[in-house]
Amino acid sequence: MKQIYKIDNNKFNSIYVSFNYTMNVNKEELSKSALLASVMSKSSKKYKTQTDIEKHLSKLYGSNFDVNVQKVGDLYSIEFRVECVNKKYLPNNVDVLNDCLEFLNEIIYNPNVENENFDKDIVEKERESILQKILSRRDDKTAYAVYRTEQLLCNGQIAGEFLFGDEEIVKNITSSDLYEQYNKMLNESCITVIVSGNLEGHENVDEQIKGIFKDKIDSKFSYDSLEVNSSRNDKNIDVNEVSESQETAQSIITFGMRVLNPKDRDFYVLNVYNAILGSTPSSKLFQNFREKESLAYTVRSRFYRFKNIIVIYAGIQKKNYEKAKKVIYDQLNQIVNGEISKEEFDAAKQSILSDLIEWEDSKIAIAKMLFSNLFAFKNDKITIKDMYENIQKVTLEDVKEVANRIKVEQIYLLGGEADVQN
Amino acid sequence: MYKINANICDELNETTYYTKLENGLSVYICKKPGFKKKIGMFGTKYGSVINDFVDIKTGKRIKVPDGIAHFLEHKLFEKEGANALDLFSKIGVSSNAYTTFDHTVYYFETSEKFEESISLLVKLIKEPYFTDENVAKEQGIIGQEIMMGEDDPEYRVYFNAIKAMYQKNNVRIDIAGTIDSIAKINKELLYTCYNTFYNLNNMFFVIIGDVDVEDTIKLIEKNVNSYDNLKVDKEVEIFFDDEPKEINTKEIKEEMDIFMPQIYIGYKLDVLKNEEIIKNAIVADIVSQMYFSKITGFFNDEYNKGVLIEAPALVYEGSNSFSYILIAAQTLKLEEYKKDIFDYIERIKKEEINEELFNTIKNKKIGSLVIEDDNLNNCYRRVIDSILTQTDIYADVKILNNLKVEDIKSFLDSMTNDNRIVSIINNKK
Repeated sequence: MKQIYKIDNNKFNSIYVSFNYTMNVNKEELSKSALLASVMSKSSKKYKTQTDIEKHLSKLYGSNFDVNVQKVGDLYSIEFRVECVNKKYLPNNVDVLNDCLEFLNEIIYNPNVENENFDKDIVEKERESILQKILSRRDDKTAYAVYRTEQLLCNGQIAGEFLFGDEEIVKNITSSDLYEQYNKMLNESCITVIVSGNLEGHENVDEQIKGIFKDKIDSKFSYDSLEVNSSRNDKNIDVNEVSESQETAQSIITFGMRVLNPKDRDFYVLNVYNAILGSTPSSKLFQNFREKESLAYTVRSRFYRFKNIIVIYAGIQKKNYEKAKKVIYDQLNQIVNGEISKEEFDAAKQSILSDLIEWEDSKIAIAKMLFSNLFAFKNDKITIKDMYENIQKVTLEDVKEVANRIKVEQIYLLGGEADVQN
Repeated sequence: MYKINANICDELNETTYYTKLENGLSVYICKKPGFKKKIGMFGTKYGSVINDFVDIKTGKRIKVPDGIAHFLEHKLFEKEGANALDLFSKIGVSSNAYTTFDHTVYYFETSEKFEESISLLVKLIKEPYFTDENVAKEQGIIGQEIMMGEDDPEYRVYFNAIKAMYQKNNVRIDIAGTIDSIAKINKELLYTCYNTFYNLNNMFFVIIGDVDVEDTIKLIEKNVNSYDNLKVDKEVEIFFDDEPKEINTKEIKEEMDIFMPQIYIGYKLDVLKNEEIIKNAIVADIVSQMYFSKITGFFNDEYNKGVLIEAPALVYEGSNSFSYILIAAQTLKLEEYKKDIFDYIERIKKEEINEELFNTIKNKKIGSLVIEDDNLNNCYRRVIDSILTQTDIYADVKILNNLKVEDIKSFLDSMTNDNRIVSIINNKK
């Protein structure tokens, strides 16, 4: 099985290295994984504290390191990443890539563990950090409203959980629980290694990685053995309306929608559908909800490729709630009825095509696209060119057909109590 | 004919070309071989702090309502009822515009429609279209934008910090203005500001990407010259109220319905000029890393006491009318953090500077500039900074290479108790 993906382009000056551990988790394991990622980013056997880590990195000419977590549909993924300068651009051509790889190996495979327990002090600090992330999630109103909608739509599934886990679970995780989760990460995940950037003079980076990591990165699971969507998207559910109040000037309205009976080609059609509906300035929501009706400054729709759901969100005044609902329904119905001008349709397609081309200008974006294609398409051969051609093939009839399978399930309002403007 | 200057930066393996067209417009092209995306930006040295100036048509001094530069940005990026974002979007190009304290920029990003995009961008800026109706409609949309800022704790803590420092300068007012001030904007005022600040001599065109330099300059010139251009040779006359040296107030504290309190510490400085502005921003970044980042004993202590989870970030922001340092942090232990950081700043001012650490951080910053240069957005920020400060494009790289320990010392000395303010957004207990 091929595990190290190289994306080489000498227009860049630097190199991005990404190690991803993607796994099935339950609710408890999600919280444990979030805390684990946080603890591992702060300490290892050799670099006991984050100060030691930062001091080491500061000697590597701007090399930066981070540990990120993300949900891949109903899977959970921990990413260990570094970014460093190609030796060509450094004084005396110092090779910092090798140092960065050694550093990642140290962080991932030599954690600060004694007697099957992570260092307790660090666990306590990072527990506090994760709890603060969970408790402050309401501080960004729009992000919170979108998260609540995901939660309502994906009730009981990992995709509906908060990225950093659950307050009560996080409070009770022990450092031996974390060690257990660490072993699960090593042994029961799909490990994906991607190197992207200017590899001139670093052509053998894959061999270099194998030399350093040995068989540790031969993962038991491959991307095609993990299921990203645990729901079948086949039930037609009645619309559910939920509202919560909050002391803000503005209110946020969201619509949560599901694509019923998804098909293989839907990904391309849904991208076009989403662009027509609300992801671009020529979209129906931007044109009508914002420009024509002046109902909002921000209005957008977001398509979740792994779950086949769509969320619309907009910042409105509370008194306009009923009108906002009506205008959103109008836009959805227009697409169902095929009321899409050629201009709207072409603009939507063109914007997706341009985005595809521009992804190749970012060494990180292109790596992320590869990663997400692995899990969505179960295929590591899909190129940007393939995607480009498939988008081009989408017809208006395709969009109409998919629109008929999109059902509104949730309408949510985060209502501003202080909403008294004019 | 115009002369093209090539500015080569070996450290970043990059060249930027500059010319001033006969019509007065300055054009900058930062060449990025191999990149598919091309960014085009048409901008003016006009932002929210400017509200008192000489009307270029009448020669009379005029005061205009707060938020008008931003309002003008919204209205210009619209053509007979159609939003410019949409016009670009129709040809598959993404675009946007933004207003800051001291400049306004309109830009597009495209891989395939470069020529069409230039011509559309020039058309939008050169054909203003203001009516009573479209001004009234915009008051609604901008009203929502202002309210969105009010709900954002990070935005509020930032603006309150500036309000605490400044007594007169308009930097203390939200870039979008207030609900009351934008109500006073009408189409006549918009035309006055447009005519004065959107004259080519006050504007700049920036291109980032893999383009042919001469063809692109000709293309821009041809498009701009297809409109009547008022020929202006002198700089626009702008007035600022005399800003006292003293801060406005020591502390601004507000409460919001949030969990995580935000705190900014600010230091109001004397206004700097040209390269000094670029230099202070670089020194600020190095000071931030040497004294406040996760490397430091200070952060480590605060982390161990449960005061800080993320390291505070210190930045410098400056123009020809304002100049300040901000240190941003989030903490649930506001009083403890305040006391600790004040004591710490007094202590580091007295201590000798660790030269080895300084050199390490300097090298780190050099590497970071190379890494950041892979992102075209960082390339344009450098060009715009150089336009606004009237400095060499790669001044930052040169200044960084020549930076000395003494520069750190004098920066630290500029942080005094007299010019210090605090802005806090606390949670409601």
